Amino acid sequence: MRVTANSETCAVSSLCVYRVPGVFDQDEDGLVLVLDESPAESLYEEIRRAARGCPTKSIRVVEDSEVGEAAQAAPAAPAAPAVETADAATGGAA
Amino acid sequence: MSTQTPPRYPFAWTPPMQVPEALRNIHKTSAMEVTLPSGDTATLVTRYKDVRALFADKRLSRNIARPDCARISKDNDLFMDPNIDPDPPEHTRVRSLVTKAFTARRIEALRPYVQQVADQLLDEMEAGPQPVELNEALAFPLPIMVICKLLGVPAEDRDQFRAYVDGFLSVTKLSPEEVGACRQNLWKYLGDLIDSKRDNPGDDLVSELIRVRDDEDDSRLNDHELHFWTQGLLIAGYVTTASQIGTGTAVLLHHPEFVRAIREDWSLVPSTVEELLRTQIMGSSVGTMRYAIDDIPLSDGTVIKKGTSVLLSEEGANVDPEVFECPMELDIRRTENHHMTFGAGLHYCVGAALARMELQVATESLLRRFPNIRLAAPAEKLPRALGGFMEGFTEIPVEW
Ligand code: SF4
Repeated sequence: MRVTANSETCAVSSLCVYRVPGVFDQDEDGLVLVLDESPAESLYEEIRRAARGCPTKSIRVVEDSEVGEAAQAAPAAPAAPAVETADAATGGAA
Repeated sequence: MSTQTPPRYPFAWTPPMQVPEALRNIHKTSAMEVTLPSGDTATLVTRYKDVRALFADKRLSRNIARPDCARISKDNDLFMDPNIDPDPPEHTRVRSLVTKAFTARRIEALRPYVQQVADQLLDEMEAGPQPVELNEALAFPLPIMVICKLLGVPAEDRDQFRAYVDGFLSVTKLSPEEVGACRQNLWKYLGDLIDSKRDNPGDDLVSELIRVRDDEDDSRLNDHELHFWTQGLLIAGYVTTASQIGTGTAVLLHHPEFVRAIREDWSLVPSTVEELLRTQIMGSSVGTMRYAIDDIPLSDGTVIKKGTSVLLSEEGANVDPEVFECPMELDIRRTENHHMTFGAGLHYCVGAALARMELQVATESLLRRFPNIRLAAPAEKLPRALGGFMEGFTEIPVEW
């Protein structure tokens, strides 16, 4: 699994930091930081929950199966936008 | 839409522990007309999917100081300050100044202080006669002391401050003159506070905001905004948490089986707090008033027309069977509880983590201190605050 987050749309809810502290953190202003982009498998379920629960949908999870496909289709796709683009667009325009 | 008068909103919780009929049927349509306390009508968006998306939708403006926007109350211009624009980019600029104070690290650093205040309040409670009224003993003093500390308000001012805030948040309880007086008093109080912080800055949020106001270029935070947002933080940081501590505890004590389960496994406290927040018995969504600045189609194709006053039903979203299993049931073990009580999107409640922490500390401390704590009056008889912004219980007698 690969985990990325968009700090530009982050609303500083701290939910992800509380849910999976070793993977998510916050900078001085409270904006999300990903500490571990390739976390241990035991954390996958909690990370998925964190992604679903993020109020601004700023967390992007690429599952191992998708990583394989993505790698084949388009080798370098860094920090893809959040899954639900409507929200990401709104937050990003803020 | 029929020609009948749309149902009154907020929906009445009578009897108090029973989900209102209107809320049980709310998902039949994706949007419904409701009549507000002012007599104006607004469109209530009911389903989780739509509520969540619309919280993050730019086509809904949070600036409701518009002549044709519905009013919540005739007697109180709640949230309708024409000098303030709570939409981006103004909102984003102000918000980024305060989020610093609400990071998980800062909130956790406050936890020992919150614990200390809770312990002290419970000491006093234990020493006095029974039954005790929980709002007075714990639910209101705790968040007031915490927000006063965070913002640098002297603790001795908190009773006075509380009276102003209660008046400020009246929807129908007080006359327009009385509301006006409370608002003036609160405004003056905050002006004095800001002046004294200017002379004696401290390590608090108001001093921090003043520094931004005075040191940086003037476009960042003007005097009125400084005043307005300080007021907003004080109010948002106090009365909501207070109502939730009291009312949530009352609901919990009404379910002794849950209290027992928590005593056997204290790690259930956070999920209990979330579930009590989800069921949102103490507040409606009148504070989510928005104004459509464009046509907005909902997920089922219904279109909200430009110029409509819109309320996003957090309580409707929170009981949407598409998202929550057995939504009407209180389940303190829900592991995935992404309720809408703190909103969503870029306006997500900035104090949510602080509120959660206070709720956890209050709930656990109370249950640990009093192993036999119970309601000292029938739950159906608990009086509710009517005509205010928060509709929690006004009296919660407990004994142990
Ligand atoms: S859950 Fe989302 S909004 Fe909250 S801190 Fe994490 S990334 Fe930011």
